[in-house]
Order: sequence, then C-alpha cells, then structure tokens
Amino acid sequence: MSGWHLSHEILKDDDSGDHDQNEENGTQKDGEKEKNDRDKPQSSTKRKAVVPGPAEHPLQYNYTFWYSRRTPGRPTSSQSYEQNIKQIGTFASVEQFWRFYSHMVRPGDLTGHSDFHLFKEGIKPMWEDDANKNGGKWIIRLRKGLASRCWENLILAMLGEQFMVGEEICGAVVSVRFQEDIISIWNKTASDQATTARIRDTLRRVLNLPPNTIMEYKTHTDSIKDNSSFRNTKITL
Amino acid sequence: MSSSGGHQHSQSRAIPTRTVPISDATQLPHDYCTTPGGTLFSTTPGGTRIIYDRKFLLDRRNSPMAQTPPCHLPNIPGVTSPGTMVEDSKVEINNLNNHDRKTAMGDDAQFEMDI
Repeated sequence: MSGWHLSHEILKDDDSGDHDQNEENGTQKDGEKEKNDRDKPQSSTKRKAVVPGPAEHPLQYNYTFWYSRRTPGRPTSSQSYEQNIKQIGTFASVEQFWRFYSHMVRPGDLTGHSDFHLFKEGIKPMWEDDANKNGGKWIIRLRKGLASRCWENLILAMLGEQFMVGEEICGAVVSVRFQEDIISIWNKTASDQATTARIRDTLRRVLNLPPNTIMEYKTHTDSIKDNSSFRNTKITL
Repeated sequence: MSSSGGHQHSQSRAIPTRTVPISDATQLPHDYCTTPGGTLFSTTPGGTRIIYDRKFLLDRRNSPMAQTPPCHLPNIPGVTSPGTMVEDSKVEINNLNNHDRKTAMGDDAQFEMDI
C-alpha cells in the first residue's frame, strides 16, 4: 500500500479535466469565481482550497464526493479499486454541497456494481488510508428502493455533525449491489467502543431504523484480510 | 472523545447523561436535532462544532446559491449531469423531490416492510 499516497494528486487530476469548463460558466456564482482566483498561490496542489462562498453556511469539515464502479471480470485488488474510483468534487458549505448533490443521480438510480463515497477532504475512501487504517464501519443492508432516502438522511446527519463523536467520523458510503443496497459509515478507531456505540445509536435515530434492524460492524483490518467489504461482519441487533 | 488525541486540550468533564425511558416509537422526536426528553448539548467536548439539523439543511437546498452546477463537476455519464438539475429529470422515478420530502417529513413509512 506504500504507493498510494503519491497517487492522491494523480487521481484528483484525472477528474479535473478542462473539459468541465463548459457552457455552465455563464451561470457560475460570483463567489466561486473569486475562489478560483484566490487559489493561484498554492503550489503543492493544483486546485486551490475550497472555502465557503460569501453568505454561505460553512460546514465543520470540507468533504469530497467520490464515485466508483467495479469493472466486470477484474479482480478487486486495492490497485484496481483505486483506478476505478473518481473524485466528483469537494465542498465547504451547505450550499456547495447541494450544488453537487443536485447534479448527481440518486444512488437508487445507479446501475451495476457502484458506490458513492462522501469523505472528509484528505481522507481517501480506502481501508489503507492513514485515517482509516485503525478504523472500521457500521453496515446496514437495505432492500432495494430505500437507498436514496437513507443515503440522504445519512449524509445530512454527517454534514450537520449529528453523530457527536468528535473527530471520529471519516466518511459514508452507499453501495449499490445486485440484490441489495448497503450504506455504511466509517470511523477512525474501531476499538473505541463508546464511539462505535454512539455512531450506531445515532444511525438508528437518523435513519428511523426499526428496532429489530440488524447492524453489522467490520474493522478495515478484517476487510484487508479477507479483501471484502461486507462479508464476515460482526452482527448486533 | 477519548480517541481524539492531537487537538487542543479542553477542560475534562464528563458528558452529562440521563436515561429517558421510551415505550413506544411515537415518543421519539421527529427530527434528529433533538433527543428524547430534549437536546442535551449544542457543543461537544473539545469545542463548539457547526451543527445543522436535517430541516435546516433541506431548507438551504432552495437557496439560489445552491442551484448552480459546481464549476469542476466531472461529466460521468449516468452519474453526474453538469448541465441539468438531476432533480428535474429524475424526480418522478426516485420519489425524492422537494414536495415529496415536505409531506413525508415524518418518514415513518420508510421501513414499513421488513428490510
């Protein structure tokens, strides 16, 4: 896994093609233009820092949307996973979040074996990331038809800091699969039981989960061992 | 939080807790900015955090500042649509437009059936 810190910026560049500068320019908010200009001095990253625009509502953290889709027939090594994951964009305010969200399909309308990831800026949605390597995730399996609404409730709770676990939350994922959809929320310290219990209870509340909902926790160490996101989990009721 | 080492120290104090017995789902608050029996704290150990409840976030969606496409949105067919609001085209299918959301605020029907 030693190579992938370097590739962070490469990934970014993949998705930041100039072809995005299209006819939408005319409708850009002034605030965004200002931000673009302000970015120039930064040399280490091509893209300037994302900041809330004037009169926008700042979030506690910046977040980045990612999208991944499994290429059929390929083995899912961490390398090919990394090649298949694309950055959609980073936002710093409530309003900027909606701009992205409103121009992305809902998870329920995704096809194939694909995922949306929403992670704090600087944390890659990979088990091996420094912020994730000692962590784990809560998993909730949903029957088809519920993913869009649950995903929205989950990310609104995360962006609004409803989990009350300090710096522990890393990000959230919705995974569209053949017979079920799965949402998960990742935290930094899998061994911190007070934190994981609080995340579990908040999940139940913000998703309106019925009391008998099965919730599963899996550490990323275990995921790396069996190269699987959702098998061999610890189940709690 | 015990695990959040690395940032500045604040005075150590136990998080106040109390138990509110609930016998029925109807006693649960309707939005998650409140806890049963009232919201306990708006700041967390380690400092004030920027907290928004679901209703506030949803309201901001209608702001003009939230409507324009982000300037670096990559075009991923079937996933992003830089030119149009997804809202407009997909709304009927996925049942998630604003009108729907408002009437379904209670959201209890979500898990009507077993999942």
